[in-house]
Amino acid sequence: MTASIDIRQVTKRFGSLTVLDELSLAIPANEFVVFLGPSGCGKSTLLRMIAGLESVDSGEILINGERIDDQPPGQRGVAMVFQSYALYPHMTVRENMAFGLKNISVERSVIDARIAEAARMLEIGHLLDRKPGQLSGGQRQRVAIGRAVVKEPKAFLFDEPLSNLDAALRTRTRIELAQLHQRLKSTMIFVTHDQIEAMTLADRIVVMNNRKIEQIGAPMEIYNRPATRFVAGFVGAPAMNFLPVKIRAEGGLVTAATDAGLSIKTAIPSEGLAAGDYELGLRSEHVRITQPAGDAAEGVVDVLERLGERTLVYVRLSDGHQIVGSDSGDSRVAVGDRVGLAFEAAKAHLFDASGRAWHGGEGGHG
Amino acid sequence: MATHNSEIRGRSFGDRVLFGLVILLALAMAGPVLYVIALSLKDNKELMVDPHSVFHLPYTIKNYIDTVGTSNVFSWVLNSFIVAGGLTVLTLVLSSLAGYGFARLNFPGRDVLFVIVLLGLAVPEQAVLIARHQIFSWLGLHNTYPGLILPGLSSAFGVFLMTQYFRAIPKELDEAAILDNASRFRVFWKVLLPLTVPAQATLGIFTFLGAWNDYFWPLISATKKEMFTLTVGIASTQQNFAQSQGIGFLMAQAVFAGAPILIIYLFFQKYIVTAVSGAAVR
Repeated sequence: MTASIDIRQVTKRFGSLTVLDELSLAIPANEFVVFLGPSGCGKSTLLRMIAGLESVDSGEILINGERIDDQPPGQRGVAMVFQSYALYPHMTVRENMAFGLKNISVERSVIDARIAEAARMLEIGHLLDRKPGQLSGGQRQRVAIGRAVVKEPKAFLFDEPLSNLDAALRTRTRIELAQLHQRLKSTMIFVTHDQIEAMTLADRIVVMNNRKIEQIGAPMEIYNRPATRFVAGFVGAPAMNFLPVKIRAEGGLVTAATDAGLSIKTAIPSEGLAAGDYELGLRSEHVRITQPAGDAAEGVVDVLERLGERTLVYVRLSDGHQIVGSDSGDSRVAVGDRVGLAFEAAKAHLFDASGRAWHGGEGGHG
Repeated sequence: MATHNSEIRGRSFGDRVLFGLVILLALAMAGPVLYVIALSLKDNKELMVDPHSVFHLPYTIKNYIDTVGTSNVFSWVLNSFIVAGGLTVLTLVLSSLAGYGFARLNFPGRDVLFVIVLLGLAVPEQAVLIARHQIFSWLGLHNTYPGLILPGLSSAFGVFLMTQYFRAIPKELDEAAILDNASRFRVFWKVLLPLTVPAQATLGIFTFLGAWNDYFWPLISATKKEMFTLTVGIASTQQNFAQSQGIGFLMAQAVFAGAPILIIYLFFQKYIVTAVSGAAVR
C-alpha cells in the first residue's frame, strides 16, 4: 500500500507560540521524503500532525485526496517508528507486532502470516518470543520497524529512529531502510537533524527552519543549489565557507571582492543583482590548498582535520576570516604553515542580505 | 599486588563484621518472636508458678486448641480476609484509575485536585474519627463489611504512588498504542496497567498489611461479635489478669493472628523488600 500526502496551509500553535506557520507540502506516492532541520524547527511536530498525535490548528492534511486531519490516529492508515522505539516492554516481539492487528480484529492466521513475512524480511524471526528488554538497540529498532510493516500502512513515519544507535549500526540501518523502501515501495517520511541520513536516504529533502520550509529538493539539488543561506550553511559537512563581499558586474557575471582585496570572478549572472553587500559561499571541496603566491588568497593554517581520503585545512585569512579548504589525504601541510588558496569560482554561491541565494550556471538564484 | 591482596582481605573482614552485625540484628528481631512462640506452647499454670519454665519442656498445644475452640476465631479470620482483601482490591482499582487520570488526562482543576489528594496524607485518622463514626452511624454502615472497608479506600498514598508510576512511563507507549488503533481504555488496560505491576504489588502489600493489622477503626465500627476482625476479636477474648494468669493463651492468640501475615510475607518477600526500599518507583 502507498499513498500521496498533501499538507495544505497547516498551522500549529502551542499557546502563543507558533510552531508551524501556514506550511504546505505535497508528497507523491512511494516517495521517501526527509524532513531535515535543527532542533525546534517543527519537523517532528509536522510528522506528529500527520500521524494524528498533534492537532492541526488550521489547514488540512490529506492522504490519497481524503482529508484525515479530523480522523483519529489509528484510522489514518499510517505507522510510526519512534525515536525511543516505544515497544511494549511486557509483550514479546510477536505480541508487539500483533497488537495493532488484534485491535482491528484481523484474523489470527493473517496476523501470523504477516508477522512471519516481516520477521523474514527484517531477519528477526529468532527474536519473536523475546521481550524488548532482552534485545539490543539495533534489534529493537528492527522490531519497531517490523511492528510498522505488519500493519501494511499507507505511509511510514520515522521520527529520528537512528539517533539512539551507535555510528556503525546507524550506517547499516540506514542502508537497510533504503532497501526496505525499495522493497515495499511505500511512502515514507523520515525526520532527522542529521544531514547525512537525509542525503543518503531521501528522494527529496524538505529543509525546515524557524516554522517554515526553507527548500524542497533532491539531495544533490539541495547541496549544489541551496535556496537560502540557512540551507547552504546547514547542509554539508564541514559547513559552507561564507565571506562578506561587495559585488560588481564584469562581462555579465558577478565578480565578488572582499575587503582584504581578494577578488573572485564567479559564474553567477549579474542581471537582476543590485550592487551592495553580499556573502560569497564556497564549499570546502571547491577551495584547494596551494603554494602561497604572495596575494590576498593566502593565510595561516589554524587546524587540520585528516579524514583519510582528504584533509580539511582551516586557514585564517589576513582579515581574520577562516576558510576551510581541501587537500589530499596525505597532505604535508602543518598547523602554522602559510598556504595559498585556489577557489573553484564557478561553484561559488552568493547570498543577499535576506539570505536568498544566487548560483552560477542555469537559472540564477535558487 | 600486595595492595590488591590487602584490599581483598579488608573487604572480606568488613564483610565478616557486617555479617556478624546482621546476625545480631536478626536475633534481636527474632528473639521476641521466638519468645512469644515458646510462651504460647506452655501451660498457663506452669508459667504462673515458674516464668522461667518457658525455656524447658514440657510444651503443649493446648493454648492453640483453646484459641480455636473457645472463640469465633475462624469467622474473625474470615472477616479480616474479607476486609483486608476487599480493601486491597478496591484500593488497587481506585488508585490505578486515579493515578492514570492524574498522570495522563488533561482536565480542568487537575493539579489543584492532586494537591488536595496529597493533603489527605497530612490528615491523621484520629482527626476525622468522630465525624466518620457519626456519618457511618447515620448511614447504618456500622457492623457491615462496607463500613469496615470504605474508610480505607481514600488512599492518598495509593493515588500518589500510582500517579508517580504512571508519570514515569514514557508517553510514546500511549502514542504507539493509539496509532495501533487501541481505545483509551485498551491503552490503559493492555499497555500501561501491566507496566505498573511492581507499584501495584507495593501498594497491595502495604494496604493488605495495614488493613489486617488495623485495630482502631474495626474496634469502633464492629461492635457485634460476628463482625469482629481478628485483631478486635482476639482482644475481646482476653480476660482480666490475662497478663498473669493466661499469658500462654494470650501468646497463642498473637501467633495465630500473625501467622497469615507471615505466610503472605514468605510469598511476597521480594516485593516487600522492593517496596520498603522504595526501589519500585522508577
